[in-house]
Amino acid sequence: MKPQCQERTRHDCLRILKGRDKALEPLRQSELVVVGGTGFVGTWIAEMVAALNEDFRFGIKLSLMSRSTDQFSNRLPHLAGRKDFNLIKSDVRQLGQFPMNADWVIHAAANPDVRTHASNPVDTASVIVDGTMSVMRTAERLSHLKKILYLSSGLVCGPQPASTKGLDESAHGAPAPNASFMYPNAKRFAETICSAARMQSRIPVLVARPFSFVGPYQSLDTPWAQTTFLSDALQDHPIRVLGDGQVVRSYLYGSDAAYWFLRILTAGQSGDVVNVGSPVGVTLQALAEEVAKNFDPSPEIMFNTSPKSAGPSAQLLPDTTHAQNDYGLAVFTPFDEAIKLTAQWHQMMRNNHARV
Amino acid sequence: MGPNHKITISDATLRDGNHAVGHQLSAEHIAAYCKAADNAGVAIVEVGHGNGLGASSLQLGESKTPDHIALEIARKNLKKSRLGVHVIPGFATIERDLKPALELGVDVVRVASHCSEADICERHISFSRSRGVEVWGCLMMSHMISPALLLEQARKMESYGAEGVVFMDSAGHYLPDDVRQRVALLENNLSIAVGFHAHNNLGLAIANSMAAAESGAILLDGCARGFGAGAGNTQLEVLVAVLERLGYSTGIDLYKILDAADLAEQILMKEIPSIKSVSVVSGMAGVFSGFLKPVTRIAKEFNVNPRDIFFELGRRKIVAGQEDIILEVAKELAMRAAKGNP
Repeated sequence: MKPQCQERTRHDCLRILKGRDKALEPLRQSELVVVGGTGFVGTWIAEMVAALNEDFRFGIKLSLMSRSTDQFSNRLPHLAGRKDFNLIKSDVRQLGQFPMNADWVIHAAANPDVRTHASNPVDTASVIVDGTMSVMRTAERLSHLKKILYLSSGLVCGPQPASTKGLDESAHGAPAPNASFMYPNAKRFAETICSAARMQSRIPVLVARPFSFVGPYQSLDTPWAQTTFLSDALQDHPIRVLGDGQVVRSYLYGSDAAYWFLRILTAGQSGDVVNVGSPVGVTLQALAEEVAKNFDPSPEIMFNTSPKSAGPSAQLLPDTTHAQNDYGLAVFTPFDEAIKLTAQWHQMMRNNHARV
Repeated sequence: MGPNHKITISDATLRDGNHAVGHQLSAEHIAAYCKAADNAGVAIVEVGHGNGLGASSLQLGESKTPDHIALEIARKNLKKSRLGVHVIPGFATIERDLKPALELGVDVVRVASHCSEADICERHISFSRSRGVEVWGCLMMSHMISPALLLEQARKMESYGAEGVVFMDSAGHYLPDDVRQRVALLENNLSIAVGFHAHNNLGLAIANSMAAAESGAILLDGCARGFGAGAGNTQLEVLVAVLERLGYSTGIDLYKILDAADLAEQILMKEIPSIKSVSVVSGMAGVFSGFLKPVTRIAKEFNVNPRDIFFELGRRKIVAGQEDIILEVAKELAMRAAKGNP
């Protein structure tokens, strides 16, 4: 990875940690394992731990467990080559064992690609459900375990009712029980497995429900609005918005998300459930306009395929009152800044028309 | 969506029409019709072999005009209309067919699969989307699965990045209520647009297209004079006229599309598609309209009734690409007849 991109992500972490590092004190001189540690979330947690160790002398030992450690090493040698980091190649369904002295475990293993969910719903479910079962069983053998944080999904409660401003952790909805919704259904069941492991085996586990993220390390190959718009703009194509652009989502920046996860892991009570995301909603039109602003020349924005208006379930926002009040968390990187930083990072990676 | 929303017309005369002439449309045909359609204000003009990019072959019929020449000529003659291609993964590969087509200036890619096989479209949709062109998923022979399964397959197309889904009545089998039910289900459950492609085996292509529009479809396919496989497609100029009468906007000039249809009749067609008795049977049996010519030919060769062939193909749920089964069925019917056991 280009040195200026590394500097940028380190700066992103330090910006978040400034004045907030004390809240992560329980991590000092401890051993953290991230299962599914080479994806977007795992990479940002690795960046955050690297910053904590270098700039705040936390002395954390980090193990990243994943099927894709080889690709991670090739892509991110500045993280993979660190002495305080350990890469363990393994499938979450057959973990074998965690590093013996692990204090903390973050279980982030799942394929977030909606195309895989559509084409391979059975494998999608297997990774999530069998994987969570495997994490819980493997964790039973850890003598120092303080806590496990399971990364579920903001989709487990189904569509957001039109009457609410945001989904809170106690929402009672559920995704439809069919293969088209295998990912959220599997995540929902995995939460139940966590709950059962806590009850039956006294595993100290809590749940984070991530909503939408944006930032460096997010693959532009995925068909989400933020990645597609950025990809269109980077290739000098018009940004193509589906429908009337009035669907509402929110975006939490990568380094913010990493801090949230570490804070919830260390401060949370076993059994707690916490939404992770930004409560600040933006329409897809506003997202497209924000992306376009960061390119020179600004790409055209097209609404050219479907005049469908956003329906009542077109808004999906987390209610983050619990995270704010009980964990002291907030959106540290505002939406416009998050989009700017992401666009600039990709432009630096590609060395093209940066409006930096 | 309001009752009189805008309808995007995708003109498949130079693609589906190619079925009707054994894929023998020439460069001159393509140039002349593209000019006329462009002049009329047609939104999308599809060009290519009847089975889409890369499908020219001994089994499916060899194109007179290779893909790259057809697309070059179309591109040159389409100023306002967008250039579309039909892509069936398996016939069309990304490197050999799709990439060069996009480099030649294709604007709209319609990635198609049999109605129950949307999975095969993932790579082609993702690739096209990453290249910034408009991408639709098409589910062919859609009458062969239930509405619920059609929705499941359409959701796959959506998750791969398609910006809309066209469900195709490739056999001309639907009744208007079938279409209404499917459009409403897709409309209510997808966040992307819905389109419809009709065939006229039972004389219902226009009625079915209207049912689709009334239920919320925003893209309709049509062909000049209905020039297409078997009994033909929705007759484009009639479609435009009916939509105009009902108050839908298409952006198409009626007189000019009538002129384009006259031109198509004059230069493209050996015969204007009509609903022959075997077409009615193929519609009833739910067999792909493009089988009409090979079935007629093979029935003659084996001295069997083509209607029996169609109903047997329907029972076997045969789909495009399985043309060799026609021969097998004809042989079996001939043998049965010889044994006095029809």
